[in-house]
Amino acid sequence: MTALARTWDQLTLPGKALLILIPLLAVLTTGLLVTILLFGQQILDILIDNLPIVRFVFAASVLLLLAPLIAFVIIYMEMKIIALMNLRIGPDRVGPWGSLLSTVHGLKVLMKEDFTPTRADPVVFTWAPVVVFSTMALSALVIPFAPGLFAQDFHLGVLYFFAIGGMTVVGLLMGGWASFNKYSLLGGIRSAAQIISYEIPLTLSVVGLVMLAGTMSLNTIVLQQSGSGWFTDWYAFRQPLGFLIFAIAATAEANRTPFDLTEADSEIVAGFATEYSGMRFGFFFFAEYIGVFIVSALTVVLFLGGWTAPFPFPHISWEVNPGTLGIGLLLLVMIVPVLGTLLFALPFYLFRSQTRWWVALILGFVLFNVVVGGLFGLWAYINFDWVAGLFWFLAKTFGLVFLFVWMRGTLPRVRIDQLMGFAWKWLLPAALLNLFVTALAIMVIDQP
Amino acid sequence: MGLMSGLVPGLGLVKGMALTLRRFFAPKATVMYPEMPADVAVRFRGRLQLLYDEYGALKCETCFQCAQACPIECIDMGGMDTKGRFHVHWGPPETYGERREESALRRSGRTVPDQAYEHFAAFDLATVDAILDAHNHDPKHMLQILEGTQAAFGHLPVAALKRISERTGAWYAMIYGTASYYGHLRFEPPAAKAQAREVSARRPSDDRYLEALGASIAGRPGGDA
Repeated sequence: MTALARTWDQLTLPGKALLILIPLLAVLTTGLLVTILLFGQQILDILIDNLPIVRFVFAASVLLLLAPLIAFVIIYMEMKIIALMNLRIGPDRVGPWGSLLSTVHGLKVLMKEDFTPTRADPVVFTWAPVVVFSTMALSALVIPFAPGLFAQDFHLGVLYFFAIGGMTVVGLLMGGWASFNKYSLLGGIRSAAQIISYEIPLTLSVVGLVMLAGTMSLNTIVLQQSGSGWFTDWYAFRQPLGFLIFAIAATAEANRTPFDLTEADSEIVAGFATEYSGMRFGFFFFAEYIGVFIVSALTVVLFLGGWTAPFPFPHISWEVNPGTLGIGLLLLVMIVPVLGTLLFALPFYLFRSQTRWWVALILGFVLFNVVVGGLFGLWAYINFDWVAGLFWFLAKTFGLVFLFVWMRGTLPRVRIDQLMGFAWKWLLPAALLNLFVTALAIMVIDQP
Repeated sequence: MGLMSGLVPGLGLVKGMALTLRRFFAPKATVMYPEMPADVAVRFRGRLQLLYDEYGALKCETCFQCAQACPIECIDMGGMDTKGRFHVHWGPPETYGERREESALRRSGRTVPDQAYEHFAAFDLATVDAILDAHNHDPKHMLQILEGTQAAFGHLPVAALKRISERTGAWYAMIYGTASYYGHLRFEPPAAKAQAREVSARRPSDDRYLEALGASIAGRPGGDA
């Protein structure tokens, strides 16, 4: 045995991995740099020629990366809000007010054993969470978050959304079927029944809106709602019945209380996800919360004016050109943070005798950052349309998410027969009524 | 209201949602125990209760710390008797026979009456003080102090222990615990040599003793005679 082989044997597993990966990374990086240096212009030309594809890939990557973050925020909201409604305090240990608890939950899920049952179908079993998660994340591709901030202004946006969103059922059925567990299969079939049943009133309730709007492009629908700048232009006021049906069906579509029979966590084990553990279960879990966000976002876009503000705000122009300050800008950047920190630290140090000077400095620094961040946000809101739009869009969306969580904190779960009966006997006729009345109104108004 | 809830569909839903929203802003019921201890009286020491472990045995080890710490001296306690029976009581010591036993009195630091109803002799505190001075009144040198005391008096009188407790600031119970832990420290004066000889003489000699023992166990299982 040579000395080299002996050294290799003495390495731990991470050491071996690093020893392989570091040279590989070095070679790849060098190769990439050389490629960019030699063929940079050609690559750029190819990318520019295929801009829609680049845009799609970029947007999909951003959405897939942002999806866990959104899920973390919503999971934290759910834990905290339901705790407050139960007269508890809720998460308050990890991070400020416990806000990192959902992140820690994510890490915990990542560290758990990834278990596959004996005689399960490994391929389907592995792909089911991927399908569920990616359909949830990819259906966000057509949602306009702010003016100009959307992946694709697709002229069949609504149709695309329902088509991709409907594929979730495939993932759930895959998970239920591949688990080799009759209860998982029953759970999968149960969730498929629920989601497909509610898909029909959900889609039909939007058809009236689409007839009014004359387009399926979500961006155009938002623009139509921003005519006078007042919230009375929103489609929720022109399609109230449609809005109600859409809200109820969307709740069922997102598997939220009172229609969370798919994963009735207090009654059946976990439905289709019974045999899932570790990060595979984590992806189902993430998908559920991303579904909440997506459904809220779609409701906002279709019925609540999207990124438009509810009131016309007086236009304020605040032009600051930092370039004119010259060397003063440099001095300002150097001095203002120090002065601001000291200024905000002073009251803590003077008026709270038990505060030590360094604690006061930390508090002052944090406070200074909060104030400056707020001012910066205000400046961005005034100067950039898309910041203002994103602000209103997220405010409305998370308002609806709060509503979902609020409903979960309040309402009891319905029975499966009540669930199905309500969808077919009430929601579907109501959606059809809404459709016919809208069609009649359009005919009567457009007649002369 | 009953009529209203029948007429307006969804009113119960709204009422429930309003209730949870009010709860959302209501003061919370959680007690943040380790960070914010409960607001109790200064002299409150909890409920008097003896705890049992999972095997049903008393967890009390008769360490006398609770009795020593009790601010109003309401705790009085005993322990296990020689047959392993529990006689743990709390309450006025006068009501329990074993509280008046000599060992109980000594353990709790009270005056031990002489068996012969003699008055205590005048106690030589100067000797104890000299020993304490030699050890700088340091309770960390308790074993050396106790050994010196025993060297001076032949045993550890209650009065000396009380003096040590008073001067070093160590609790009487701790001094008692230290003294009772070491086998070479004793609380009684050693028996006089003449008395010891008399006791030995009254014991049967080896031959007679073994003979009697053999006769007593003969014919019974375990006996070989």
